[in-house]
Amino acid sequence: MPPAAASNLGYTPPDGGWGWAVVFGAFISIGFSYAFPKSLTIYFKEIQEYFDVSYSEIAWVSSVMLASMYAGGPVSSILVNRYGSRPVVMVGGVMVCTAMVLASFGTTIIHLYLCIGVIGGFGLAFNLQPALTIIGTYFHVKRPMANGLAMTGSPVVLSTLAPLNQFLFDSFGWRGSFLILGSIVLNCCVAGSLMRPVNKNASPEPKAEASECNGAAVEETAGTPSANLLTEENQSGSKSPGCMDKFIDFSLFKHRGFLIYLVGNVVMFFGFFAPVVFLAPYAKHLGIDEYSAAFLLSIFALVDMFIRPATGLIGNTKLIRPRIQYFFSFAVSYNGLCHLLCPLADGYVGLVVYAVFLGLAFGMVSALLFEVLMDLVGAHRFSSAVGLVTIIECGPVLLGPPLSGALVDIFGDYKYLYYACGVFMLVPGIFFFIMHYFNYKRLDEEQRQAEAVDMRTSYHSCEEAVELKTGRDDKTVPETEG
Amino acid sequence: MQSMKLQHGMERELCLSVCVIQLWMESATRKLQGDTRAASLLQLKGEGGGLVVLLHDAASRETRKRSSERPAHRGDRGIIIMSAIRKQLSFQILLLFISCRNINTKTLGATAPPLDPTAPLQKLERSYVLKGDSHTEKVELLNPVSLVLMCTWTGSQNKPTNITGFWSKDGKEIENSRVTVQLENKQYNLKRTFSIASEADLGSYSCDFGGEAKINFVLAVPQMGDERDKPIVSYLGDSVVVPCKLDDSKPTPNTWNWYRANETGKEQIIAGQKFSIKNDEKKTKLVIHDLTADDSGLYYCGAVYGVGITMGRVELKVISFFEPLKPFIAILVEVIILVAAILLYEKSRSKKDYTAAGHLGKITDQRRALR
Repeated sequence: MPPAAASNLGYTPPDGGWGWAVVFGAFISIGFSYAFPKSLTIYFKEIQEYFDVSYSEIAWVSSVMLASMYAGGPVSSILVNRYGSRPVVMVGGVMVCTAMVLASFGTTIIHLYLCIGVIGGFGLAFNLQPALTIIGTYFHVKRPMANGLAMTGSPVVLSTLAPLNQFLFDSFGWRGSFLILGSIVLNCCVAGSLMRPVNKNASPEPKAEASECNGAAVEETAGTPSANLLTEENQSGSKSPGCMDKFIDFSLFKHRGFLIYLVGNVVMFFGFFAPVVFLAPYAKHLGIDEYSAAFLLSIFALVDMFIRPATGLIGNTKLIRPRIQYFFSFAVSYNGLCHLLCPLADGYVGLVVYAVFLGLAFGMVSALLFEVLMDLVGAHRFSSAVGLVTIIECGPVLLGPPLSGALVDIFGDYKYLYYACGVFMLVPGIFFFIMHYFNYKRLDEEQRQAEAVDMRTSYHSCEEAVELKTGRDDKTVPETEG
Repeated sequence: MQSMKLQHGMERELCLSVCVIQLWMESATRKLQGDTRAASLLQLKGEGGGLVVLLHDAASRETRKRSSERPAHRGDRGIIIMSAIRKQLSFQILLLFISCRNINTKTLGATAPPLDPTAPLQKLERSYVLKGDSHTEKVELLNPVSLVLMCTWTGSQNKPTNITGFWSKDGKEIENSRVTVQLENKQYNLKRTFSIASEADLGSYSCDFGGEAKINFVLAVPQMGDERDKPIVSYLGDSVVVPCKLDDSKPTPNTWNWYRANETGKEQIIAGQKFSIKNDEKKTKLVIHDLTADDSGLYYCGAVYGVGITMGRVELKVISFFEPLKPFIAILVEVIILVAAILLYEKSRSKKDYTAAGHLGKITDQRRALR
């Protein structure tokens, strides 16, 4: 297979330059998407009293927001495929701002469900997907690093928002705070403005020269600039017929790697968030006071913050990059192991150790979560892939914590919760290991076959051009359609 | 030790006789057993008055203390003893009559609002053994009680046989409470009964041993938990819910009251159009509608117990909607400026790139055309 087209982008991503500004923009967008719903819980107590509702009714606001964020994935993917990342992120930012401003004038709890929950959730979805997608367009070689850095946004923004929200609440009450939060979220528009669409015209000259020697290859690699612009839109259309596929790529369901990822993730998400949600209640259950329990979460967030870029860095190394799926499988299994060993931790020191290891595991999985998906399906189909994945993951993400809570209520003991979560993560981890072993074998076979075909067709053309191409090829990840 | 709880009215007399019989029987048996330390307590209460009589039946000691728990106007009453007095008891009763004359009928503390005369006071005992030179003990009270405070002091280096002990309330010595305390078993004992009927009776009661050692008993209603030190913020024209709650470990109050602080003190809030009060055992909520700037200030929630009211403090701050609007607009302006700056910067850069790319495109096209 021709090396340049192996990235299937039809151009060489900059891997730097403005890309780092884009990473910063993605950092902010992803940060707000994940941290915003969690940070709103500070206001719930007062809102609950103001509207005279029960705790579960107010907790629905968070759930509706999270559900909308995940359900909005496909819509977001369609829009990104059509208009690019920048307009979608800016619209998303404006949506969340409007939602918060409207909510600050709310008179009933339904008002809050609609404004914060639905509109806010969709706005955040419009922030998350494009941010992830645009990293794939700007980076190829340094992509794991860029992904790791961008995903660090979540713990950093959460750590900033939590005390800020408390301060706003003390100064302005919940209505004023919602108003000001609306304006803070508008900074996502700034992040969006940084997400300049990548310059696909900047195909480096050597490629143009190489194509002179290789007339047939030009068509394959779609080396001309104008063809590049059409490639993204036509690719999905040319792969499988149907008008829906112009918007979202359903042929992904035939993609081997995508299916492995999907199946594993659906099971994994049942046990992913619950341990973090129940860490503080578990600590209190063991007799630890409230402040120390909250401190456990801070330790967790701090470790998480530093491990994400570190994981990105490790994922970028020559050793790991070609087999990054194994790294991800390891991270998931390690998570499972941590949860299974948690009940052995007793006393505050044991819990601190567990919090540190939990932060490590959680950060590793989060940093690699979207990187491996990009690795499997390729950057141009990533947008559709992430949309489909998020809407399917919606179920386990929403059901996970309540089911775990039910486990705690039935057995009256937290250790069964941790055993269950451990199993829910260990099994997909092992599943990933096995499946990816076979997948890599198949991919290597296909690569060898494709290269053999390629060698034959280009045998008769300029051999220096071929050598130039293979020499320039610093790709380490084989990306093929499954 | 035997204590009897008395029933109301008619049954009282029956109980008294039972009481006396029991006492007699007990003292008889104890004497038979050679037990010289049997103490019994008889509480009598007549109509509108009574005496608390402590019978300290110890052959070796024979100390008797009596105190009155009723205000002076009730006078000096004798003991009403029903029938069935046996000879063994007569000696004790005789002693009682003798010491009756010495009964103190001094009032303790301010005149409390009249207590329900038909309801007998619960009895409560608190004691402390002091080894050093001072100690403070907290006593939590809910309802009016007859409180017996017992102080024991182990003495200092030199242990004189007699020291003067007295009681004081809130720092002021209670009149006629000075007694001579004898050294028994290397300890000094002070004991007194107080009638705690209303909030005025609460406070700090101290037993003082000759000015050298002191035990303080602080009598109070259950206190509120941690108070919220930051004010509740709300907006003009909006309504606000001001909550107050007691710790789960504290007992449920009889009811809750709300007060508003003004120049002269606290005035009670009455539920109506502007205020509504929702009580729920250990929690209470005050809902204020149609807020105005005057509504800012301190509010007090009071948990009403039988013997007093415990206060919690909440501050309310009412602000106008323009307050949060200012930071909102400030951040909005900042966002617009940043977005405009970034987009303008990009436009100016892309113009340069475009012209450069344009040139490059022309060159490569020409090259291709040539071949």
